[in-house]
Amino acid sequence: MKKALALILALVMCLSLSAAAFADDAGSVYYLNFKPEADQAWQDLAAKYTEETGVEVKVVTAASGTYSDTLTAEMAKTEAPTIFNIGNKSGITDWGDYALDLTDTSIYAERVNDDYVLFDDAGAPKALGYCYESFGIIVNTALLEQAGHSLDEITDFASLKAVADDIHARADELGFDAFSAPGLDGSSSWRFSGHLANIPLYYQYKDAGLTVGALPAEITSDYLDNYRNIWDLYITDTAADPTSLSTSTGDESEAEFGEGKAVFYQNGDWEFSRLTGKFGMDPETLAMIPIYCGVDGESEAGLNCGTENCWAINAKADEADIQASIDFLTWVVTSEEGTAMLAEQFSGIPFKAAKASANVFGADAAEYANAGKYTMFWAFNDTPNVDAWRATVVTALTAYSADPSDANWEQVVSAFVDGWAIEYANVNG
Amino acid sequence: MKKKKRDAAALSSELIRRPIRRWFPVFLLPTLVCFCIGFIWPFAQGIYLSFCTFNTPKDATWTGISNYVKAFRDAGFVHAFKNTALFAIVSIVLINVLAFAIAYALTQKMRGSSLFRTIFFMPNLIGGVVLGYIWSMIFDAILKHYSTYLTANATYGFWGLVILVAWQQIGYMMIIYIAGLQAVPEDMLEAAKIDGASKSQTLFRVVIPNVMPSITICMFLTLTNSFKLFDQNLALTGGAPSVIMNGAKVNMTELLALNIYSTYNINKNWHGAAQAKAVVFFILVASLAIAQLTATRQKEVQQ
Amino acid sequence: MKQRYKQHYSRGSNLLTAVFIVVGLLWIVPIIAVAVNAFKTNAAVNQNAFALPNADTFVGFDNFVKGMTFGNYPFWKSVGYSLFITLASTALILICTSMAAWYISRVGSTFTKVVYYLCIFSMVVPFQMVMFTLSTTADTLKLNTPWTIPIIYLGFGAGLAVFMFTGFVHSIPLEIEEAAVIDGCSPIRTFFSVVLPMLKPTMISVGVLEIMWVWNDYLLPYLVLDRTKYMTIPIHIQYLKGSYGSVDLGATMALILLSIIPVIIFYLTCQKHIIKGVAAGAVKG
Repeated sequence: MKKALALILALVMCLSLSAAAFADDAGSVYYLNFKPEADQAWQDLAAKYTEETGVEVKVVTAASGTYSDTLTAEMAKTEAPTIFNIGNKSGITDWGDYALDLTDTSIYAERVNDDYVLFDDAGAPKALGYCYESFGIIVNTALLEQAGHSLDEITDFASLKAVADDIHARADELGFDAFSAPGLDGSSSWRFSGHLANIPLYYQYKDAGLTVGALPAEITSDYLDNYRNIWDLYITDTAADPTSLSTSTGDESEAEFGEGKAVFYQNGDWEFSRLTGKFGMDPETLAMIPIYCGVDGESEAGLNCGTENCWAINAKADEADIQASIDFLTWVVTSEEGTAMLAEQFSGIPFKAAKASANVFGADAAEYANAGKYTMFWAFNDTPNVDAWRATVVTALTAYSADPSDANWEQVVSAFVDGWAIEYANVNG
Repeated sequence: MKKKKRDAAALSSELIRRPIRRWFPVFLLPTLVCFCIGFIWPFAQGIYLSFCTFNTPKDATWTGISNYVKAFRDAGFVHAFKNTALFAIVSIVLINVLAFAIAYALTQKMRGSSLFRTIFFMPNLIGGVVLGYIWSMIFDAILKHYSTYLTANATYGFWGLVILVAWQQIGYMMIIYIAGLQAVPEDMLEAAKIDGASKSQTLFRVVIPNVMPSITICMFLTLTNSFKLFDQNLALTGGAPSVIMNGAKVNMTELLALNIYSTYNINKNWHGAAQAKAVVFFILVASLAIAQLTATRQKEVQQ
Repeated sequence: MKQRYKQHYSRGSNLLTAVFIVVGLLWIVPIIAVAVNAFKTNAAVNQNAFALPNADTFVGFDNFVKGMTFGNYPFWKSVGYSLFITLASTALILICTSMAAWYISRVGSTFTKVVYYLCIFSMVVPFQMVMFTLSTTADTLKLNTPWTIPIIYLGFGAGLAVFMFTGFVHSIPLEIEEAAVIDGCSPIRTFFSVVLPMLKPTMISVGVLEIMWVWNDYLLPYLVLDRTKYMTIPIHIQYLKGSYGSVDLGATMALILLSIIPVIIFYLTCQKHIIKGVAAGAVKG
């Protein structure tokens, strides 16, 4: 019987201690990735690195819209991520304590300039942008020509609307429509509550002389009529039923464009590899134009460029893990495999050893900038409590799409303006 | 009653008691250790942390009752509270009336009653998250005919949740009612019949008073189930739609448990308030349970 | 007179059966809807979830194949972890708490009384009260794997089980145990060969309740487990909602169907025990 006792006690001990036995001494890397669309590429790259150096690299990608929840949960764990993403200045407020000062690291030395670095209030670089991206309206120029129009026609909202209305009116005859579905399912709604919302935000920042990182406590409704212009166009000149947008997904919208059923598709340059790869589109027939919405002087607008992808290294990780993480990231931006992967996935890569990207959208963005047009920076990076703010906007936008009345638009305006103030207070209160 | 019996049993078994005591490490210790890990310690720490600001429990600093003030000032919490109370009332009535009616019908002589019992109980075995998914698909499919969808309107979400929970729990309550109904003494029913009582008279004067204990149990279970509801709420609507009301943001279909959870996820400034809400929630649920238990006990004594 | 009454009764009974057939069919519509939609394309599910698949919308087992690797996590792994966690936790709870209940009941000291009342107390504490602290405690103690999570389940679920077992142990006559002790049985032997067999009905009740709880539980494993490595079925299904830019309803329904089939089989085979267990558990709780 004493044996039985000993056995049971031993069993209990074993159960609780078994997991602890797997502790490792060599540094290992745990990267909590923010971009679901790049997940596979990171997994492959991590496997290559492990093969080459023997250092274990774990890449985990949070489901879209859950990054901050996942980060909060993971950071509380003993095996916390060693590399994580900080999207913007308010991310520095939340996670600055956990972010290593990058000043003396080898990865920091590889950067091209300070444009995509996030500094804390004391001026220490805490997160390093690893790509910058552009978004706008992606155009299938082959279809556009087929419909008897050309890119040169489109220079502002009025001309965009004229072209889109014409295509939509002849959709049956042409076999394709103007815009791909503006789905408001969680997998797609960020295109509008995030990216499209940048347009009114950008213009009011511009008026007020603000830049990204200003983190205003309140915003105005100044350019929301313009937002309404473009949104009305999206939900009118499309094959999608505006009452069922809440269940219309990003994949469906992407497929609609990729399979040649729509001429216009609002999204970013990160779509390039999927459109040319998965859907086999010819890069020659792809172009990206600015999102026009009827603001004065918008013919001089360029694309929306910026980043919400900055690497931060967990300062509270083990010394060995920190070093392993720095080594891994340095390898990513300098090695053959790493730079190839970055060039394939992203269009703008702010590192010295970056390979030229084949991404035509990135080239479009540069072309607009070189032609002296103003680049719209990513003011939407300042959105307080971003997932919650967007959820409210999407709710209002969905209701408005199903019934585009002025009363429903008031709700959208309220979700923008009041929602911003509320979420700002939530986050800072 | 119970207590007396227990003491008597313990005292009279000195013969048994003494050898067992030495086996404490085998019999009680494993459960006790796990109970401390899984309940006692988290509970105590939870109470403490509700008075602190913290990101993780390691960096907690004492801030007094400010978390509680913050919790009660949160319009979303107040709304969730009202929502939960309304939801509890509606589902208690609906579930118990229907479950009793079904149980009553199934205990009459009727063909296929055991098959129906099987069918009605089935939804109970499916988890809340899965149920939420199934029903959101069904509700969206129905509402599509009216050009709308489940999360468009808080009313849809509320009644959707009521229907879901009713579908899930009616079978469970039915089983308890059936057990109660089968325990109604046959001779009392016979006596009622002989006295010429009508069916409804028999039901209200004889059957219902006799199944009172089952009714109490079912009321209690539906009450606590409604208050603790989380999975179904999360999976069906997740609290959507969220709207701005009187200058505050409210997740319209959020019940208390989900509100606590989503508060925690706002950011680290809200961890303390979320824990404070959890303490308030605990006090609420515990007092409901205690009130219910005392009421039941009193009734039992009277009988 | 008696004749007429009987006839009337049976006609009413037939009518009742007819009504219940309709209600019963409506009752299983949701489950049928899952089964039907599991074989349709995503677009067809969105279009009309109540339509049967036709030549255009029928995709055979494609949804099952697709669903298996959704979200870069193989579904069968979630099924495996769910099964293991449920069985291991239930077994652990049954063994440990029945022993604890016997000890509490037979020793009857102040200490055991305190433990007993704490157990009862824990029954009225909602999970939300302890969830944040429990997840960090579990992580600190490295209990965040499927192999160790039964310890958490035992800890949080001990209350109800101890309560139910203690209630039953009280009703066991002491004479039998006394006889065993006089015969020279050690407590271990007495418990396993004398007490445990008598506890069987309660074991079944508690077992059924625990299985239903653990198998369907979402939040506890979601907060406790290292989600980047381990998922259970409810976590996996909830994860699909926000996963990787697409919600494929067809594939989701296929996974849901896969996850409820074992439950329904379990239910149909052990129906008697489950219903009895539920009734007994509810009466005690």
